[in-house]
Amino acid sequence: MNELNYVGKSARRKDGPDKVTGRAVFTQDVKLPGTLHGRVLRSPHPHAKIRAIDTSKAAALDGVKAVITVADTKGIKHGFVDTPRYPADQEVLARDRVVHVGEEVAAVAAVDALTAQRAMDLIEVDYEPLPAVFDPFKAMKPGAPEVQVSHPKITAHEDLANIGGKTATGWGDVEEGFAESDYVREDRYESHLRTHGYLEPQATLAHWESDKLNVWTSSMGAFVKRAKLAAVLDLPYSSVRIHKTYTGGTFGGKIDLFSHEYCAARLSMLTGRPVRMVASREEIFSAFRHGQPLVVEVKTGVKKDGTIVAQRLRVINNSGAHRGSGVVVIFLGWGFTMVPYRIPNLQYEAYSVYTNHTVRAPQRGHGCPQIRFAIESQLDDIAEAIGVDPITIRLRNARDSWEELPNKDNTHQAGLKECITVAAEKSDLLAHYGNDRRSPPEGRIRRGVGIGVSSYMGGTLIYPNGSGVIVKMNDDGSAIVLTGALDVGQGAETVISQIVAEELSIDMDDIKIIAADTDVTPQDIGSWISGLTYVTGNAARQAAGNAREKLLAVAAERMNTAVDDLRLKNKEVISVANPDNRLSYAKVIETSIATRRGDTIIGEGFWRTMRDEPNHPSLATTKGRWTENYAFSAQVAKVEVDIETGEARLVKALTVHDCGFPINPGLVKGQVDGQISMALGHAFMEEVITKDGYTLNPNWLDYRMPTIHNIALSEEAHVITEEYKVGEPYRTKEVGEGLVSGILAAIANAIYDATGVRLHTTPFSPDRILQGIKDLERLEAKGAAE
Amino acid sequence: MNELRPPAKPRVITLTVNGEYHEATVRPRHMLVEVLREMIGLTGTKDGCASGTCGSCTVLLDDRPVLACLTLALECDGRNVRTVEGLADGENLNTLQEAFLDQGGTQCGFCTPGVLMSATALLEANAKPSPAEIKKALEGNLCRCTGYNGIVDAVLQASGQSPGQVE
Repeated sequence: MNELNYVGKSARRKDGPDKVTGRAVFTQDVKLPGTLHGRVLRSPHPHAKIRAIDTSKAAALDGVKAVITVADTKGIKHGFVDTPRYPADQEVLARDRVVHVGEEVAAVAAVDALTAQRAMDLIEVDYEPLPAVFDPFKAMKPGAPEVQVSHPKITAHEDLANIGGKTATGWGDVEEGFAESDYVREDRYESHLRTHGYLEPQATLAHWESDKLNVWTSSMGAFVKRAKLAAVLDLPYSSVRIHKTYTGGTFGGKIDLFSHEYCAARLSMLTGRPVRMVASREEIFSAFRHGQPLVVEVKTGVKKDGTIVAQRLRVINNSGAHRGSGVVVIFLGWGFTMVPYRIPNLQYEAYSVYTNHTVRAPQRGHGCPQIRFAIESQLDDIAEAIGVDPITIRLRNARDSWEELPNKDNTHQAGLKECITVAAEKSDLLAHYGNDRRSPPEGRIRRGVGIGVSSYMGGTLIYPNGSGVIVKMNDDGSAIVLTGALDVGQGAETVISQIVAEELSIDMDDIKIIAADTDVTPQDIGSWISGLTYVTGNAARQAAGNAREKLLAVAAERMNTAVDDLRLKNKEVISVANPDNRLSYAKVIETSIATRRGDTIIGEGFWRTMRDEPNHPSLATTKGRWTENYAFSAQVAKVEVDIETGEARLVKALTVHDCGFPINPGLVKGQVDGQISMALGHAFMEEVITKDGYTLNPNWLDYRMPTIHNIALSEEAHVITEEYKVGEPYRTKEVGEGLVSGILAAIANAIYDATGVRLHTTPFSPDRILQGIKDLERLEAKGAAE
Repeated sequence: MNELRPPAKPRVITLTVNGEYHEATVRPRHMLVEVLREMIGLTGTKDGCASGTCGSCTVLLDDRPVLACLTLALECDGRNVRTVEGLADGENLNTLQEAFLDQGGTQCGFCTPGVLMSATALLEANAKPSPAEIKKALEGNLCRCTGYNGIVDAVLQASGQSPGQVE
């Protein structure tokens, strides 16, 4: 690879100046004259029949411009998933029944907030409360309150209630594998309900104008929003325009279509005026989508040396009252199980169970933290039982480069073993491991160290499946880049600029990005599914490369030399053989326009993962390829535990990862630090506490997110980056969400290392740790007495 | 239906925002954040929770950081407000803003205006704050993207100290 000038450098954020001056426009900042204030009326019951809705008093109120219920909709359903097996299942407003607290029942548009509030109070809904169920194991039992009809493909074989979906897959013969194993153990792990905690509330502004619906909304991808919104409104895509606004944090929580987006649009269509909806923080906590608490049962058999022979997982997802991404997380759980370690015999089955909780969304890692917490915790217990250290057992089972997985995916270049080795060396893990358990120090503080391993996929197929980028050369040699990519904080506009700057040899300041506008920019996969830098980044490379080829072809003709003789530098084309023979881009473009029928030089690029794979894999059977792009990591946690209070603290996190070639190491570091912080919140602080479907802590005082006092030292190292400099230029992988997982497991393992307490449930709260210490003391006393 | 009209009469307040004189007609329920964002049109100040828990709306009222979502507009009559829009000198960013770009102190950018104003108040009172003092000054500002590492580093850089990881 040639010398790189832009790619691989920690360039400043392209959107940085706007974000530190208050100029960056978020959805709430868009102001249109005559905007109405929209509000959504939500269910006060976890499960109830709607006998009648009377909106007449609300509609008659002065200042109320429109009121809608399900009767005003076309009855077209939407869903995170819409496949033949799992068709869209959710009405935009509740019809006849509500199935969770906060479900959307009606909406109003009024001249101001007070009037909208009064209108809400005047809507009369006659509810008949129905029995509700919140625990997935109770919900599965035949005869449980029916949240939704159990999936017919499941009930044909299994008498289970409230099953939204099931994933069942595997290979080899696990029973034979367990029989061949020298050591087998079975454990059960539980994760808890957390939320995304995006700082910017969910907000939407919709304006129906001249047969066109203009929408500004807090999202993770303009094209997904357009498709889903157009569908429920029964409009052609060309009649719906999603405009760009910056998004103030997402972490998975702003992907899908939300009812308030539909309501804003519909109310604007009815009134002919712009309608704004902004969710209150309490609404977000109590009615919007959170992550997914999983129960993971793992049985693993190993040989004496730690080689995994067989593994069986059973996963139960408490997936809320509609399908949401509940059936996706149980599919992904298989992927997060099968990748890092070679498992010759695997059996995986997982159920997504309807309960009367709010609908679930993806949340950074989408099941990976829960799955890796289970597997990596158990692996440490296995290692100890058979007398192997935590590094050796991981290296023994870690996959190599170019390994074909049972689903026909390939690991490609895979630095997993290097990650584990470097993590062990840098943290000197084996020198510290077990110290405080062997000889407990004076005082109340115990120190521990633990490791966790993870792999995360990038850019797998889901609508819209591919990204396009257009690079328009301006006739002064600068460039306009059109991309559908949305910068949600990860730095999409920056990395795309770096790539275009590199390919065209122009300065980043000469590049202006036009982004995330469905009418103006090419389609884009969006800032989720962890594929933007890989998929859109490659589209940008292709587009800039396409423009460069055109520049070179015109220049070669004009300069009387061969394309091979030319190189690009600082907006000039230069002959290698005769450096005096050079032409500015401006001259090249002028020549192109003069000699090529006005061609101003526009480059096009497209990218899609797995171009030979027609479809995404089956969510139910996992049949089909998942991705061509796996990132790998090993993370080490150093913790301190106060054995008197039970309080544990992450002192330092080390992340060693193979994220491919880092386009912008500074932005990569930002992703790592953010994920360490999020995992720290997951491990110690955050929990959405519910009772009978009601959120008891719907604010940031009672839902404790990490503050600046909870900062953890975060060190980071990359492996095998030099391998990406050979051949294919800067192959990127994933870095945005895979790194909340290994570190969560590492924290659990470090707490065990410090105290001997093995935690099977998140969060690792003081009471759980104290209970564990007491249980150990009791066991010890019992042992001493015997 | 006159019952709709709120009972209290509106009042005109005057305030200086980033050195410019403004008047606003407000009712007792109006908060400073609404005056800034909805009436004056300075949308740089963000409203993340409307309940004083996230710090995104932090502005300086007579040079002291306040939560604009909990500050009654009437309290601001005749006073001096500074917001994120007042930090840069035209196109020239100040050293704190530059430091946030150098150190990765901003990602999604939603908490950034509030963080910058808290940090501004700190640096005006204390030119070389220790990491502990930085944390104390920014403890009311939630950031979900950065893990705060880049923010602490940025304040250290802005105060002429070497950025580096702090526990």
